[in-house]
Amino acid sequence: MHFYMKRKERKKKTGSSPRTRRGKLVSAGYLLPSAVGVLLFFVLPFMIVIYYSVVDNPISGQFVFLDNFIMVFNNSAFRQAAVNTLTFSAVAVPLAVVLSLFLAMMLESKIPFKSQFRTFFLSPMMVPIASVVLIWQVLFHYNGMMNEVMGFFGADKVDWLNSSYAQVVIVVLFLWKNLGYNMILFMAALSSIPKDIIEVAVLESAKPNQIFMHIKLRYMSSTILFVTIMSLINSFKVFREIYLLKGEYPYPTMYMLQHFMNNTFGRLDYQKMSAAAIMMAVVMVIIIGILFLTENYFGKDVEG
Amino acid sequence: MNEFMLKFIRLKNIIFISVMLFILSAALSGCGKGDGAGDGRPEYVYVPEYVEMDMECDYISCLASSGDDVFLSVSKWDEETGFTTNYLYRYNMNENKATRLSLELPENSDVSGMAPGADGSLIMIVNNNTFEMDEEGNVKDSKSIMEIWKVSMEDGSLLGSEDITELVAGKSDYAYVQHFCVDGQGNLYLSDGDNCIHIIDKEYKKVCDIDTGDWINNMAVSKEGDVYITSYGSEGLQLKKVDLAGKKIGDSVAGAPSGYGTQSYYTGVSSSLLHSSAGGVSRVDTASGTVETLFDWLDVDINSDYVNYVGELSDGRIWAITRNYEISGSATNELVFFTRKPSSEVPAKEEILYGTMWIGSDVKRNIINFNKTNQTYRIKVKEYGNDDYQAGLTQLNADMTTGNCPDIIGLDGLDYNQYANKGIFEDLYPYMEKHGMDRQDFLENVLEAYEVDGKLYGIVPCFQISTCMAKTSLVGERSGWTLTEMLDFVEGREAENIFDYGSRSSIFYYCIYNNIDEFINWETGECSFDGEGFIRTLEFAAQFPEEYDYNSVQEEGTSSKLRSEKILLMQGSISSVQQLQMMRGVFGEEISFVGYPNSERQGNLVQPTGGSMALSAKSKHKEGAWEFMQSFLSEEYQDSLISEHGGWGFPVRKESLEKQFEQDMKEEYYEDEDGNKTRQPKTTWGWDDFEMEIYAATPEEIEAVRELIASANKTGGNVDEQLTNIITEEAEPFFKGQKTAADVAQIIQNRIQIYVNENR
Repeated sequence: MHFYMKRKERKKKTGSSPRTRRGKLVSAGYLLPSAVGVLLFFVLPFMIVIYYSVVDNPISGQFVFLDNFIMVFNNSAFRQAAVNTLTFSAVAVPLAVVLSLFLAMMLESKIPFKSQFRTFFLSPMMVPIASVVLIWQVLFHYNGMMNEVMGFFGADKVDWLNSSYAQVVIVVLFLWKNLGYNMILFMAALSSIPKDIIEVAVLESAKPNQIFMHIKLRYMSSTILFVTIMSLINSFKVFREIYLLKGEYPYPTMYMLQHFMNNTFGRLDYQKMSAAAIMMAVVMVIIIGILFLTENYFGKDVEG
Repeated sequence: MNEFMLKFIRLKNIIFISVMLFILSAALSGCGKGDGAGDGRPEYVYVPEYVEMDMECDYISCLASSGDDVFLSVSKWDEETGFTTNYLYRYNMNENKATRLSLELPENSDVSGMAPGADGSLIMIVNNNTFEMDEEGNVKDSKSIMEIWKVSMEDGSLLGSEDITELVAGKSDYAYVQHFCVDGQGNLYLSDGDNCIHIIDKEYKKVCDIDTGDWINNMAVSKEGDVYITSYGSEGLQLKKVDLAGKKIGDSVAGAPSGYGTQSYYTGVSSSLLHSSAGGVSRVDTASGTVETLFDWLDVDINSDYVNYVGELSDGRIWAITRNYEISGSATNELVFFTRKPSSEVPAKEEILYGTMWIGSDVKRNIINFNKTNQTYRIKVKEYGNDDYQAGLTQLNADMTTGNCPDIIGLDGLDYNQYANKGIFEDLYPYMEKHGMDRQDFLENVLEAYEVDGKLYGIVPCFQISTCMAKTSLVGERSGWTLTEMLDFVEGREAENIFDYGSRSSIFYYCIYNNIDEFINWETGECSFDGEGFIRTLEFAAQFPEEYDYNSVQEEGTSSKLRSEKILLMQGSISSVQQLQMMRGVFGEEISFVGYPNSERQGNLVQPTGGSMALSAKSKHKEGAWEFMQSFLSEEYQDSLISEHGGWGFPVRKESLEKQFEQDMKEEYYEDEDGNKTRQPKTTWGWDDFEMEIYAATPEEIEAVRELIASANKTGGNVDEQLTNIITEEAEPFFKGQKTAADVAQIIQNRIQIYVNENR
């Protein structure tokens, strides 16, 4: 009884402290604008998107449950866009990660003109996207520089942007645009690996590839995850470049999910667009979830 | 920290939070609320009062206002004498009383300007024309003398006159005055219709000529007695003061209304100037550059196209004289007073919003008539395409899908199919049935053109048929053809061009864009742009220039080229029986309306000529909106579309169309010198260098028009710009010889296939 009374007394003391209550109120006051912002600009639009996806159209607002999802899933343009987007991401994202890691490693080693190389790879980030597209059009147009060069060697002209080569052009454009940024992130991660561990490994006669696989890669796992997620997100943004190159309806292999959504939005097909957006969001969440699980598995012993 | 300090900090926080909450609530409560009376209406509104002008007057040629008196120089046609007589009236606006003044103008005279003088007299610019005739009674020579007449405002007696022909004409042999003003000092300002202002003092001695540099759009004297002109600058119309001392035009008045379109200034009473535009009326204070908007014309049930004069009375009322034109072409003058009243004193009506990219004159006229007569509803217009068309279209789309949809949507310039498929429009057949309108009373094929899945989503009061014509002797008697038949026909002949002014783009429009469903099967989702028809069209179009050189010298007219088969086809619209008669004349023989190539051989298209509109499925005033819409289909309105000499489209109501045909077949006669009744042409129509007299139509011609109308059950001009862009962009390498027609057709097929798949 005595013990009970004591606990109760203590609880009362901590729970009802005016200072704590005031602190909570102040915290809530400071958080309120941000919470209202998140509610207004993120949660509410998302709810509206969910609403649009389960009604026949925003005007009549009749509940149709999953009909829009089924309709979108059966739409051959959506399927083509999904396949194209997945193919592009499956090719471009690993390439963006691996190549930028390779470049970062290369610039970490003792090679001449390191800062010039770094600037060279970072420069695409500084070029406005409209200029990038203009350069790419000059390069890959039917009468462009690439075909001129190929013609010099006797090869036939290739319609880069209107043939199955179109996605190759987009992958190259994506890598050119993103490698520099990824490379900088990897360089930062490489420089933060404790030097003493590497020195111990060298003293223990570890080979460079062993150091890379067992130390560097493990210490960089969170950066690799971050770069992969960022590259994945950026791979969805490649729509911007394709749109500027070929408009709303490009050659079929360049037609991405965001084309589908952009065009359906333009035609006021909000329900179709919302269903597609939710399906895409679900897939993204699953992919990112898998990436997190992978990172947890590989990086848990170095983060602790 | 002592207790006082803590209390102070706490109080400070409470005050801060209270202030923030107040600001937030004030900001939020401010949303959507104006200075109105609480029911969404402004605090004050202007109420119109229509007055019949008690004057012998057909036409008002000139007007000048002095206080609450208005002086009008009018003309009246005398049926008996066959002459036009000019009168001068003083109209007291307060008493609504017209007094005819004694002034008489000589024969062949007219008044080109009138203004109150500084000494209380009325100054008039009078042109006296004299004609020298030859022996046969034709005008051999003419002479015009321009005089200033000083007239008594009391009785119209002539106080004095002065010949100013030389002063105004200068070195030219003809004196012309477009705008006329008298400033506060009694100086006379006469603009010459170009960019010169002649300034004469009250003794009629020339003061100076001022070159304005730009064409003078309008000239007015302000309440303060200064003269202002308007002319177009880089940002539209600019108001500038005439600087008499400096003998130049001053800088533009900052803040004055600008923009383009019809704009006029009048002397103000409570402000410097009164401004009238297509939008409405406002007061302009030239010293401060402030503009006070008084009202919009449509809000006071006035068609701005008909406004001739505007003024202000000493009691603050605004008046306007309008010349109202009926569809038949007749016109009447009307005086309208606008009185400012608190909104609470004016009975509120339920507001129906008419949203459109632009408003046509027929719809505008009907809205005004509806607003004048309907006691429950009032139609308000929102024109989306006024400034930036694309931005307006985006806004209209956004409004239609986010709950701000106008109650009635004008379909001109819109792809109605797209909206109908989204469920934005209401099916109008149930409304027709509910209000006792039998759809069989109307041309079913025209209604069908605005149907989607058996539901009617738009009404078209009157229409024309967009078609393509060819000699029957060449194409046979037919009312349509397929693309292959059309290409076989044109490729088998050695004509200079397929059409007059034919180019690649016109061929694309004719063969593809007006007929896009020929290449897209929306049911199966299959496209056939890689098929023979499309490839042949590309190859055929390659023979023609990209754009026609309109600067090239035309040695022959269209009619001559058609007759000699240098050109084979003619695209055009048939909006009257007279037009069909003329087209037969242009070709010189029987013609077939083959229309646009189509696999069903039904290529003639319905085109609205007097507006087309749909009802929003989300409207809260569907009954009121339908009440307005059905007025377009009423017997009275449909009969008003009947025109004596070929109108601007066929009425959609069958009975009215038959009445139009009866009118078209009615012979016109005149009596010759011997008293014999002789047939005479109803009118004269022309095309290019061809002109012909149109007589009463024969039953056979009426039947041909009937068949033409019956052959059209689709509307045109709704091809998506996306498709035209893809075709134009991808066909270019073929026309430049870089790719084969089959290659570009395949690319077009692939790209458009995506479009089709996405839209299914």
